[in-house]
This record gives sequence, C-alpha cells and structure tokens, in this order.
Amino acid sequence: MLLPTNSSPPSFQQDFYHSVTEKTKHFASKCLNGSPIRDKSYDTLRGRFRFCVCTGPRKNKKTAKWYVKQPTWRLWGEEKTDGALYTVYLKKVRYHRPTRSLSSSHSDSDDEISHLEWETVRVRFVKAGTLRKLVEALSTDDGELETTYINVFLATYRSFSTPKEVLKLLLKRYEELSDSQQNGKPDQHEQHRKTLISALHVWLDSYPEDFKEPPNHAALCHLLHFCEEYLPATELDAKVKHRLHRYNAEANAEPILPPPSAFAMRMLPSDYKLFKLPDIPVRHFAEQLTRMDVDLFKKLVPHQCLGAVWSRRDKSRSHEAATVLATVNQFNAVSFRVISSILVDPGLKTNDRAAIISAWIDIAQELRLIKNFSSLKAIISGLQSNPIYRLQKSWQAVSKEKLEVFDELARIFSEDNNKLTQRELLMREGTAKFADTVGENDRQLQKIFQKQNNHTANISFGTIPYLGTFLTDLTFIDTAIPDVIADGLINFDKRRKEFEVLAQIKLLQGAANAYHFVEDQNFNRWFDSILVLDDRVAYELSCQIEPSPNTKTKKRHQKNDSIASTSSSNSSQFYCDIDSTPSSPHNSIDRKLSPSQMSNSSSNSSLPSLDVSLNSSHSGSANNKLQVPFNTSGTLSLNSSKSSPDFYIIKVTYETSSVETDGIVLYKSIMLSNNERTPQVIRNAMYKLSLEGNPDQYTLAQVLPDKEMMLPSNANVYYAVNTAYNLNFILRPKKLEENEGTMKNSKGKYKS
Amino acid sequence: MRGTMTRPPNNENLPTVKLVVVGDGGVGKSAITIQFFQKLFVTDYDPTIEDSYLQHVEVDGQWCMLDVLDTAGQEEFSAMREQYMRKGDGFLLVYSVTDKNSFENIIHFHTQILRVKDRDTYPMLLVANKVDLVHLRKVTEEQGRDLAHKLGMPYIETSAKDPPLNIDATFHEVVRIIRNQPNPGNERRRKKKFKKLGKCSIL
Repeated sequence: MLLPTNSSPPSFQQDFYHSVTEKTKHFASKCLNGSPIRDKSYDTLRGRFRFCVCTGPRKNKKTAKWYVKQPTWRLWGEEKTDGALYTVYLKKVRYHRPTRSLSSSHSDSDDEISHLEWETVRVRFVKAGTLRKLVEALSTDDGELETTYINVFLATYRSFSTPKEVLKLLLKRYEELSDSQQNGKPDQHEQHRKTLISALHVWLDSYPEDFKEPPNHAALCHLLHFCEEYLPATELDAKVKHRLHRYNAEANAEPILPPPSAFAMRMLPSDYKLFKLPDIPVRHFAEQLTRMDVDLFKKLVPHQCLGAVWSRRDKSRSHEAATVLATVNQFNAVSFRVISSILVDPGLKTNDRAAIISAWIDIAQELRLIKNFSSLKAIISGLQSNPIYRLQKSWQAVSKEKLEVFDELARIFSEDNNKLTQRELLMREGTAKFADTVGENDRQLQKIFQKQNNHTANISFGTIPYLGTFLTDLTFIDTAIPDVIADGLINFDKRRKEFEVLAQIKLLQGAANAYHFVEDQNFNRWFDSILVLDDRVAYELSCQIEPSPNTKTKKRHQKNDSIASTSSSNSSQFYCDIDSTPSSPHNSIDRKLSPSQMSNSSSNSSLPSLDVSLNSSHSGSANNKLQVPFNTSGTLSLNSSKSSPDFYIIKVTYETSSVETDGIVLYKSIMLSNNERTPQVIRNAMYKLSLEGNPDQYTLAQVLPDKEMMLPSNANVYYAVNTAYNLNFILRPKKLEENEGTMKNSKGKYKS
Repeated sequence: MRGTMTRPPNNENLPTVKLVVVGDGGVGKSAITIQFFQKLFVTDYDPTIEDSYLQHVEVDGQWCMLDVLDTAGQEEFSAMREQYMRKGDGFLLVYSVTDKNSFENIIHFHTQILRVKDRDTYPMLLVANKVDLVHLRKVTEEQGRDLAHKLGMPYIETSAKDPPLNIDATFHEVVRIIRNQPNPGNERRRKKKFKKLGKCSIL
C-alpha cells in the first residue's frame, strides 16, 4: 500500500474511515476478481480519499478539499493531448525498496538509504476525452489497470455511449496493439493488451446484463469471434462461450409459470391469521417491511439512478430505470397503507384511531433500530401526509412519549442544511453493525437504543437508505456539470463525481446482505389486502372524520377540482401516478377511478360519507339516497344522513365450487364507486384476488344475514347494494350451464 | 451581477423565507435552482454541501435569507410531496413549455398546496420554463397566462440555459408575493394553532 503515513485523516471518524476504506477495497477487489492488479494506482488512492471526504462530516465547504492540500499531493495543472484532457498532480511517494521483504532481519540498515526513500512523481488523471481515448485509458500509460478508473467507467459509460460501441472500440484497440507489435515496443504493447483483457473480465463479471440482448446476443457473439481469432482456448474464450451457452439455454427453456394464486389461496397454512391493526407484532412488521425493501434494494442497478437515466428518462424508456421505479413504488405502497389504515374506517373512535397511529410509530421505531431508512421515511411521510396530519383530535389522543418518539424519528429526515442529519447518519451507520446514533435532544431514542444494546448486542444489520436523497443528488450533479467540455470532449470528471454517489449505494447494497428475515405469507396477505386510497379520496375521508373549520376552503377546492376535470382529462399524475407501477399490482383499484369520474362525483357532493350504517332504515335505502339531490352550498352538515357517498368500500371474498377453505374467510377490500356496473366490479375484485379469466364467468353476491343477494349481470352495483347491512360480497365462478347462457347474451361485450 | 449589489446587513436576524420548487420530473426545476445559486458550470459541484440552497437576497431594498427546497429527482415519491409542501412560505410551480403534461399537472400541485395549507390562496408563481426551445414549444404564452389567471397567480417565462432568462426575477417575485399577501395575520394565526399540536408531534 502506498498510503502515505501523514495523509491519514486527522481525528476524523477514524472507525468509519477504516470501514469504508476496507469495504471500498473489498468492493474493488471483488470487481476485479482474478484479474492481475499490479499496482494500487494513485488514482485508486485518490478515489478513496474522495469517497471519504464526500461521506465525511463537514462543518463547511472549505474543508472539503483538504486532500489536495496534503503535503504529498499538489495540483500541478492541466495537460492536453490529442483527444484528451488530463489533470496532473505531483505526488511525493515512498520508494518500495526491492529488498523490503528481506530487510526485516537487518532493519538497522534503514538509515543508510533514507535519502532515497522519497521522490516526487507526476500523476495524471483523465479529466475529459473522446470516447476512443476514454476506452484506451482503461490501461494506463504504463499499461496498468486502474481499478478506480475502470469502476467509474463501467458504472457510468451508459450516459455517453452504449455497450456495443465501447466493446467495438476496446477490441479495435486490442487489434491495433497486436498489429503494431512488429514496430515499437513489443513488451509494453503486450502489457497493454493483457490489461485490456483484464478489463473485459471485469466488465463481463460485474455487468453481465450489458451482454444479454436476446435473441442473438450480438455483443457476446462479437466478443466470441474476437476470442476465436486472437485468444483461442483462453480463460476469456471459455467464459464467453459459457455465457453464450447459458443465455441460449435460458431462452430455450420453457418459461415457468407461477401457479395461479387462486390455487395458492386455497392452500392457506394452518397457522393462518389475518393481521389487524393496531394489535400486531410491531417488530415482525418492521422485519417484514425490511425484507421487502432488502429484496428490492439488492436488485437495484445503481447506474439506473444516474441523472442521465432516471431524471432524464421519458415515459417510453421507463424500463431503463425499472429497478429504481420498483423501489419508489414500494415506498409509496408503504406510505399509502399507513394513510388508508388510519382513514378507511371513518366510524372508528378517536382513541382507536390514535392506537393505529401509535402502532405505526412503533413500527417506525423498530425500523430505525433495524436501520431501514426507506420504510421508516415512508411511514413518517404517511403520518405527515395532509389527510393524517390534520387529524388533530386523533393526534391529541396519542401518548406524549409516543409523540416524542415520532418527532425524533421525523427529525432524521429534516431538509435543513441540505439534509445534513440524514447524510451524517447514513455516513455513521451505513456500514455499522447496529443503530447507535442519536442526537443529544433525542431523549426517547436514547432510552430505546440503550435498551436495544442490552438485548441484541450480537445481532448485526445492514442499512437500507432512503433512495430519494441519492436520486436528487445525482439529478443535481447531472444538471450542474456539463456532459461535454470544450472541443466536444466527454467530461469524465462528471462521471467521477457521479461514481462517488454510486459507490455509496453499492457499499450499502453489500452491507444489506447482513439482513436475514424469512418471508411471512400472512404478512404479504395483510399487505395486499389494504386498500389504497387516492389522494383526493383520502382527503375527503379525513375531512369526514374531522371537518375542516374553514368552510370557505371547501368551496374553493370544489372550484379547483372542476377546473381539473376540464383542463386535464386524463393526464392527472396525482390520481393516476400509481398506475405506472407495473411491478406493484396492489394498486389496481386506483386505476379504475378515472380522474374525470372522481371530479364528476365531487362536483355534485362535497364530502363523501363512508359510514354505511348511517342509513339504517331498511330496504331501499340505497335508492332513497339517489333521490336526495345534494346541496353544494357547503353549508350542509357533514354527518347529515342525507349526504350521499361517492363510493363504498366493499369486502369481497372468493369462493370456489370445491370448498377447501376450512372456514377461513379471506377478504379483499375494493372501492365501489358510483356508476360501476357488475362486470367492472367483478373485474376489480378479480384483480385484487389475483384471479385471471373472463369476468363473465363469475358471479357476485352480497351476503345478507339470511340470504345472499345475487347481483344481476349488468346492474349498477353502487345502487343495487343493500347498505343496511355489512358490505360483504362473495365472488364465485359460474356453474357451467349458467356460464354458457351468459356467454351468449353478452357475447363480445366484455372482453377481458 | 450579484457582486455589484450592496452587501447584506451583517446580522443573523434576517427573516428567512422558505421557497419550495414543485413540478413534474424533467421540467428543469434543478436547472432553475442551480442557475439561481450560480453553481451552473462550476467545475467541482458538490450536491451535498450544507448551505447549497441558502442565499441572502435583496428584494425591493429589503434583505432576506432565501432557503430553497427543490426535490428534483424525487417527484415519484408521491407520498412525501405533502410533507415538504407544508414547509413552504411560497411556491414555484414549474412546467416545461415543451411538455403539455407538465402544464396540465400544475392544477394538481396547486390544489394540493391549498389543501395542505388549508387556505383559499397561498403565495405561488407559475413558471413556464425552457422558453429557449422555441421550435419544441407546445404550450403557448397565452395558455400559460390563462391558467395563471384562473388560479390567481402571476406568470413568468424562464430559461436556465445560458444566457439565463428571468431566473433571479422568478425568485425575487415569489418573495414579493409572500410579502404582499393580503392577510398575513391569518397565516400567523394558523401557524400558531398548528404549533400547539405540532410542537411535539410534527415538524
């Protein structure tokens, strides 16, 4: 190691420094497994310093560049060659004495050669260059492999090139070196070529997806031809052949279809129980949420977070950031569950609602201990979302201590000082074994941590970061630093900057391997069973629970909403943005609520009532509601029995003809809005219950105390339901003969 | 340009004004913010610097400390939008004139801000960005002004490309709107009320 003794950071988070350095080294060596690294180049060292500096605590920006001011490093200037621009540093290095390994026995001779121990060398880093020059720089002037350079290059090159193009240039470079072997320095050329081969190994090992382009895998084939010509029967040749073989085999294999979940549902485990807030095992919930996050975080492809990919993507290319989107969707899914679990039953007593809020705070507290900052922030966001935040009475019923915990947890994500708290915390605990960082004002957390450390001293966890902060940082880097500099050279310094962020993500991904939580299907079922409310519905429910004192505001909102329905018919990001969640099927219901529908219904009634027991005057009450025109003057009392809801939340269970459910009733809640007809409701229910097929082949019936009420095949369900009773429904496959009948009647009407 | 201004009064008691920049992804929010803080095209930009988004500004002879929150890149974390909206004293509602959807979504940001603030009006400015891209323009100035009028807020056209257009003017205008809001007393009263609850639970 060439780490100069006097450049270790003075009194500065020594432990973290070491752990990061070690991890980065480990990461680099992992990337380079088996490749010949002759030199821990200066750039590697520099890269480490920069990484430390970036993640280190700083009191002001002046200290940020301390490493340049170290006596051993001095900025010399810039150097321009044809097609590349370099930053040049002068560095004082210690000689490696050739006899070092032998000299331990006669260390007394050290003094004799001390005057030879130090010298100043010139080190240059690629600052910018043409693509060709950047590819050539994969092997240094001396023909060495620079670990940092290749890591930065491979992590970021997609912003300025493609795998195909880079491969072409890399192989061309190799061919040129081979062809020019006769004239020039054969030894050095040989060295350069070896390094290029190492680079190919690193690339194939660390970014296999770059070479996977079914059906032909053109890049891999290109590489194979190259190997056959230049490197037959080498390690690289074998690796490429094996890879190609595997990809082809994968393509030919029959895709394994997951068993239909309807089938899975019938085989519920014997210990099956439906979780119900607030009486849930909070630690278990925190662990299960973390298990979901770990899964997504490990699958996250860091370079999809780059500004050029994530923030510049358009809708048609969203697959390029699929793993980022999956993380975002999970975050939202957790937040929405917090919101809906608190609002969905407007009849709840204030204390019961406060108990659910408290349960979420308890889960959040456990997440802090497990160091899952993603779901932690999701819960905080849910609790601070407007529909929940404004429920003053419920909050007042939460215990004082619990509120303090919440306050302390929320402070972690303060935006103050450019999110300093959050950044420092991540820096301190990112690779630590367990949570142990508290602010001096965090009275409750101090107590909690103390308790934890007594109990679980030997358990270690990884860290799940809140990805959004990284995404914002990368977006700002992408905006602030130009892609190309003078003469059209690719600005590689920008990529180094981006890599500092990506390296942190990679580091945490590695640390996330420390989590081991076993999947609990019961938890998954609970998670899927929670209805997700859209933004506006959540607000209306919230207002129903605690009316806004500001009546003028209500009028105003209505006005806005009516503008919404005219000026943006189908582009509503707010109402539909959960639509763009292919990986998260939980939100299906929102899709069915078109914004215009929501706006329409809002324009003739100000606030919905979900309290289905309100109209307990028996039969026909639903029809009565229809006949009460709602007064939009805004003076109507909210809990008036005349108010008509925009929608109901109904519970649907699935029943197959073969009864194997053993009395277990699994409900899915779905939203039933005004004007929804039977096939649509069945379709919604099927989606929620993960059933596939034609809605025409199912029937829907409301369960009444003494009988079932079968819904006609094309009824307006909203008006047909009997709201005098619980809104429980049964979805059944039709019997065969029944089926054929309806098929004839409604042929071609409802294609699924 | 900023150098020619008079120096800010040297005290810590300047009123702090919190601005929040909202708008769809890709409309150029971050470019506006960076351009305002004059960090565009700096060679060694670091997004993690603590005081990146703090700046003394003089508007109409009065100094204040601007604290700008721009969560560009996090637009799709829709669940946390309201959380940061709550913190704003004034808002920049940004859309790109090259992106019709971003224009149509402005109404939703507007509605959401009023809901979060529980107010009929709130200091906001409609910002039509990327007006330098004339040939790609999809939303006309008239459409922009119409919407601004409907929503009761001023309208401004910007470009963060060099040379920038109206970037400083945009931030200064929001400060003006905040200062000139009709009944700031109403605002203070509300805040106080929420503080009673919020002190230990929220914020």
